[in-house]
Amino acid sequence: MQHRTWHRLGLTLAAVAVLFAVAQAQEPYRVGLSAALTGRGAETYAPVSEAIRLYVARLNARGGIHGHPVELLVEDNVAEPSRAAAHAKKFVSQDGVLLMLNASLSSTYPPMIHEAKRAGVPLFFAGSVCPREVYPPADPLLFCSTAFAARYDSEFALDFIKETAAGPVKLALVSMSIPISRGEVDYAEQLAPSRGIEPVSNQSIPPPTPNYAPFAAKIKAAGATWVYAWAPWVTQVKTFEALRQLGWQGKFLAYAHINAEEELARLQDEHFYVFGANAFFSHNLPVHQEILQAAAQGTMHPPTQLAEGWVAGMVLEAVLAGVSWPPTPAKVLAAMNRVRVDTRGLRGGPLEWTPTNHFRTTHYYRVYRWDRRQQGAVLAKDWTAVAIK
Amino acid sequence: MQLVVNTLVLAATYALIACGYVLVYRVSRVLNLAHGELMMLGGYLLLTTASLFAGRPLLAVAVALLLSLGLGLLVYVVLMRHFTGESVLAAVLVTIALGILLRGLAILLWTAQLQYPLVALGWQNPALSLGGGAVISAAGLLTLAAVAVVYGGLLLFLRYTPWGIRMRAAGENPLLAAQRGVALPQVLALAWGLATLSGGLAGMLLACDSGIDGTAVIVGLKAFPVALVGGLDSLSGALVGALLVAAAEVLAIAYLDPLVSDVVPFFVLLAMLLLRPWGLFGRREAFERV
Repeated sequence: MQHRTWHRLGLTLAAVAVLFAVAQAQEPYRVGLSAALTGRGAETYAPVSEAIRLYVARLNARGGIHGHPVELLVEDNVAEPSRAAAHAKKFVSQDGVLLMLNASLSSTYPPMIHEAKRAGVPLFFAGSVCPREVYPPADPLLFCSTAFAARYDSEFALDFIKETAAGPVKLALVSMSIPISRGEVDYAEQLAPSRGIEPVSNQSIPPPTPNYAPFAAKIKAAGATWVYAWAPWVTQVKTFEALRQLGWQGKFLAYAHINAEEELARLQDEHFYVFGANAFFSHNLPVHQEILQAAAQGTMHPPTQLAEGWVAGMVLEAVLAGVSWPPTPAKVLAAMNRVRVDTRGLRGGPLEWTPTNHFRTTHYYRVYRWDRRQQGAVLAKDWTAVAIK
Repeated sequence: MQLVVNTLVLAATYALIACGYVLVYRVSRVLNLAHGELMMLGGYLLLTTASLFAGRPLLAVAVALLLSLGLGLLVYVVLMRHFTGESVLAAVLVTIALGILLRGLAILLWTAQLQYPLVALGWQNPALSLGGGAVISAAGLLTLAAVAVVYGGLLLFLRYTPWGIRMRAAGENPLLAAQRGVALPQVLALAWGLATLSGGLAGMLLACDSGIDGTAVIVGLKAFPVALVGGLDSLSGALVGALLVAAAEVLAIAYLDPLVSDVVPFFVLLAMLLLRPWGLFGRREAFERV
């Protein structure tokens, strides 16, 4: 009788242990993403969010990290600060996330930063423009993997224009009338004379504008031979098309947002250059194949627009892989401060964060343009490394 | 010369959109604040029909136009009909809700990406020289032609056809019109249909000229001051208002700061509200009735 009781007790304890182990294994690494899935900027941020979702799903299908799945909580902030604030509060106080991600307009940053600092939870800008606080000396809690980088972008762009132009350059600058875009283009305007470039026009175009011809006419009348645009894609491409409609024959350098590859194919203009930090799918790297396979599982977005979010997914995996179980925000923060991600060709080199540099130690640029003979996008300038100090 | 062309094309876009605001207001006294979204849907409908009827662009355009007309009728039958005789404010609030719903639906169905119906139609948008160094895009020229056809057609329709006369009567005095046998629901449905058709056409032309995305709604909103400046119950007023606002906007870009252009329509509107609240061609009685 006594033997039977012990036997039952043993079995019960074993069952409880198994259940506990199973429950432990099911316990996820929980991260919260507040993204502009709709509203202003959604054309950029929704594909980023989608790529992170696909990456995490693929990661979980392979067994997750240290045997634990990654739970990605996605909320649509409609690019509104009040919603981002509500999401950050929910993530931190209700969901108990280890890490928050933001893929939205810069107006949503302050409330999320405030909440991150209050709760001591790291905030990772994935696909949204990197705030100044991630550059050295970095804020302890803020990190960024986004390809575009204010200041560095314009410095590289002006160097490229000077290098590519055969003679003197009369430069027109184009921004969207939002603070981040205007600030960058104004910086480029100040910088241009130091590169021997003459700025002749600076157009800040309101979003959205039904007709870009009046702005283009002003640029053409100013006698610009080159145009440099650092703005959301719609402003860049519509200004360029309006300029061509007016018979302008100059060269145009725009930032390569996530839809740049398809757009080069649509425009088929050899003098429309795009520069950025993500490799085009035309290179057909193994990592591109992985993205295409993940996208084939079902997404509304063109696979060529998923690279930016895929890089964020790679960073997320690398960070969580450096966190032992049970995870805490403090452990995640420590892992973020020493992360080094092999981007496998999606970028020009590894993405590395240090305790003082939460942007990356080296940033890489590439320039593409359309080639009529090859009927495809070709490199106008291969990876160029820029040290971030 | 280019300045004139730019002004005319912008004015034509505004006039086409404003026409919808005026039609609905004139007949039902409702400010349709979902008109920007209905205009945007016109562009998206063209995108869809262009893909569905690949290789048959004219059919795609015709079907998109019919769908726009049908959408306007549907909005009235399903939604606005229930607010006939109710407070105008309630109806306006419903149009705001409708706008939010349509914006969400557009993103769900077509994503937030900038898309190009012209590519799907297999058409080009070449620049056409007008002499004197001025050029106009084919889509711009079509927009000008569309304004002539839509406004000319509407003026004839309202003046000479039985349905047009009924529509004017319903706008003038709905109770009396109903007592004289005018079927108000049909007239109102037709007004909503035609308004959405003209807005949809503007959306299609805009999409052909420079692509379509969710921000097209704001273009629709910018045309609202045009309708107010012209006088909300006057089609001719909408034409003049469009010219005035577009000229102010283009001149601001050319001679002031491009940033000013964004607020110029609202400056013109403010000035008009201070000087003549019922608009250039609007009627004081109609304004006071509201």
